[in-house]
Amino acid sequence: MARPVVELVGCTKVYGAVRAVDALDLAIFEGEFLALLGPSGCGKTTTLSLIAGFVEPTAGRILIDGEDVTGRPAHLRGLGVVFQSYALFPHLSVFENVAFGLRERRVPSAEIGRRVTDALELVHLEGLGRQRPAELSGGMQQRVALARALVYRPRVVLLDEPLAALDKKLREGMRDELRAIQRSVGITTVFVTHDQAEALGLSDRIAVMSRGRIEQLGAPREIYERPASRFVADFIGASTVLRGRAVARDLVTLAPGLTIRVAVGEALRTGEEVELAIRPERVRLAERSGEGTAEARVEGLVYQGSLTEVTARLGDGQRVLVSVTEPAPMRLAPGQLVHLHLPPEAFMVLA
Amino acid sequence: MKLLLAPAVVVLAAFAAALGALFRWSLLEFIPGSLRPGGLTLANFRGVLAPQYLDTVWETVLLSAATTLLTLVLSYPVAYALARTPSRRARSALLVLTLAPFFTGAIVRTYAWVLVLGNAVVTWPLPMLFTERGVLVGLVHFSMPSMILVLAAALSHIDPAYERAAASLGARPARVFWRVTLPLSMPGIVSGGLIVFAWTLSAFATPELLGGGKVKMIANVVKDLGLDSFNWPGAAAFAMVALALTLGLLAGLGRLAAGRAA
Amino acid sequence: MSLRLIVLALAAFLTLPTAVVIAVSFNPTAILSFPPAGFSLRWYVNVLTYPQFQRAALNTVLVTAWAVALALPIGTLAALALERSRLRGRNLWAAALLSPLVVPGVAAGLGFLILAASLGLLRSRSVLIAAHVSLVLPFVVRSVWVSVKNLDPALERAAASLGATPWRAFRRVTLPLLRPGLFAGALFAIVVSVNEFVVSLFISNRVTEILPVAMFSYVVNYTDPTIAALSTLFILATFLAVWVADRYLGLGRVFLRH
Repeated sequence: MARPVVELVGCTKVYGAVRAVDALDLAIFEGEFLALLGPSGCGKTTTLSLIAGFVEPTAGRILIDGEDVTGRPAHLRGLGVVFQSYALFPHLSVFENVAFGLRERRVPSAEIGRRVTDALELVHLEGLGRQRPAELSGGMQQRVALARALVYRPRVVLLDEPLAALDKKLREGMRDELRAIQRSVGITTVFVTHDQAEALGLSDRIAVMSRGRIEQLGAPREIYERPASRFVADFIGASTVLRGRAVARDLVTLAPGLTIRVAVGEALRTGEEVELAIRPERVRLAERSGEGTAEARVEGLVYQGSLTEVTARLGDGQRVLVSVTEPAPMRLAPGQLVHLHLPPEAFMVLA
Repeated sequence: MKLLLAPAVVVLAAFAAALGALFRWSLLEFIPGSLRPGGLTLANFRGVLAPQYLDTVWETVLLSAATTLLTLVLSYPVAYALARTPSRRARSALLVLTLAPFFTGAIVRTYAWVLVLGNAVVTWPLPMLFTERGVLVGLVHFSMPSMILVLAAALSHIDPAYERAAASLGARPARVFWRVTLPLSMPGIVSGGLIVFAWTLSAFATPELLGGGKVKMIANVVKDLGLDSFNWPGAAAFAMVALALTLGLLAGLGRLAAGRAA
Repeated sequence: MSLRLIVLALAAFLTLPTAVVIAVSFNPTAILSFPPAGFSLRWYVNVLTYPQFQRAALNTVLVTAWAVALALPIGTLAALALERSRLRGRNLWAAALLSPLVVPGVAAGLGFLILAASLGLLRSRSVLIAAHVSLVLPFVVRSVWVSVKNLDPALERAAASLGATPWRAFRRVTLPLLRPGLFAGALFAIVVSVNEFVVSLFISNRVTEILPVAMFSYVVNYTDPTIAALSTLFILATFLAVWVADRYLGLGRVFLRH
């Protein structure tokens, strides 16, 4: 396997009594788009700051291209950073903002002109060189920030929640553009976000973080379909968690009279208590009871336009979330008795 | 980062050294006819307790209080206009008028009053020059710009929504002012009053020129003792009194203001 | 009673002395009379040719230039330190830096005089400059601090991420953005230093004295309108400065919020 571009080895960052980052190991490879995903306080931004060199780790090492850069200040690391607030220099024009890194590298003026123009073209902001950042919209400012970080071809570009300040429509548009730009330039990218939809849609790999540690690291599909822990299952997408006892290698009893079949690849240990998770979109509404169905009573309905989120209660009191694509196969009303089809292979066993 | 503070600390140290020298000499014996002091003594401070000096201290305090009150009353309307006038030009004009005296310095401003008050036509029927009244006028005039600015700042920070709410509840403009605006501007009144009182306690140029030797405040006595009689220890003791008064005032009233805000 | 009337009356009160001074400065006779009995520029000529005033003006320029040149960098560094570092007792430091503002002028003046005498520096211009720096520094710190507070720390990190050394980041990003605070600080510093009277009275002599002190000496000894002429020049200069400051720096915005 190729040597990673960025490596964090046993990195810990302590602030007083708080372990913002806890013995973190992470390897980031050439050309990949890696998302650091997690709720606020999970340490994702601190991790980014460690890579960028804005903070020093309390313990551990940071390597870039195999070279130990722990202790090297930020301005000597040669990375690109896009800040959440964009941090565009208000007293400089767009051109001068983008040219900043090139000037620090003593690139000759003629070449600066050419490369800045190319960078602005890349982010679709041609001709706006003379403007001041304050004159641009949020979306445009974000693109200037991106151009500024990319123009000198850094090894890695770090993005700190870059889409957080944009409104929904703009965010989705920028998301696609961001990915397109990253693919076309092929630059290794580390992207911090708390928005799991963003992470799922943009990244090659996601590191789901909680309390300074990586809970799971893998491709989006793997994270979504096979969450390694309850935290990941809860954080990524919605899911129903059911508790029961295994009565056979593939049977779980949730309550007397309520036994379901699961097919999760490995055999269950009889007698063991298990936690099962199932995504709402995998649960189907059946016309009548049958193989693999369970009876439930509809408790709540939330209409969302393209789907309706249904909350139903099983006989043993456990709640199941069901995403019903509209138009719904049957009329639904609170209190109604429905038959839920729970496909055995749709279950995920949590630790 | 802390190193950045170092040069400023050096400057502060120099200032502190000056105050330290003052303190030290206030406790040294004055030898008439010589600039060299004697040994440690409390004679200077005992000297401060002499009736004429105590009178000066007392009159200084009274004069400062009167100045503060009068300044407050006269500054409030101007500050109100400055904070509330919608017209930008009127505001600019008022601002320039208010700020400009600031920038012309004590001597110029005091001298102007010497001219005005010295003119019997202007000040009939009472003689003003070289009297306490004259000094009061000079002090008030000197203090108004500061007070106006502080009050205007405080007033401009009062959300107009409060006054609108009071009006909607049926209060007449005068009542709105009395029950809403004035109380809400109290922090500005207190801090402005503090600034004026503290400054006036140590006023020098105004009483020196407008008092003509007949009206003496603490600062004038310090100068007389220090530069005319070369009684540095005595002057130092008196200066320490002025310093103590000012610091005491700021500490005491500052705590009052903080307590009120709490 | 219209508010406007009251304000106009008070505005008149504020400007009355200024008007009188300007009028008297053109008075042809040596007697201080108002209204003036004619028009003459002889007092202006007197001002410009009086050797002590010339020397004092030079001293003022020298002392103020030095004081501002020293106070600006010292104050800027202090403002940055106050805002940026996780200093314990930061408020205490801030209070200490602003403390010269509350000390009575005579106390500071006498103190510096005694200190200078103890160090054998009685006729030294350096002590005068040092005193001015300490008196002017609080204003600089206060003005620059406001600008520093408004500075987004992410900007300096951005500069670092783009490869700028701390010094270059300071020069290319921080300093330009501190300009408003620096200008305001410089303006205050100049005004305070040029008009500084009490402390300078104590520690300067006829050789080193600055303009306000020279004016004071003159007023105490002579009664002709020369000082009126000098005052008028002063007033003109400062009106201009304030007008420029309001027009280009929006001085009104510094004090009021709208």
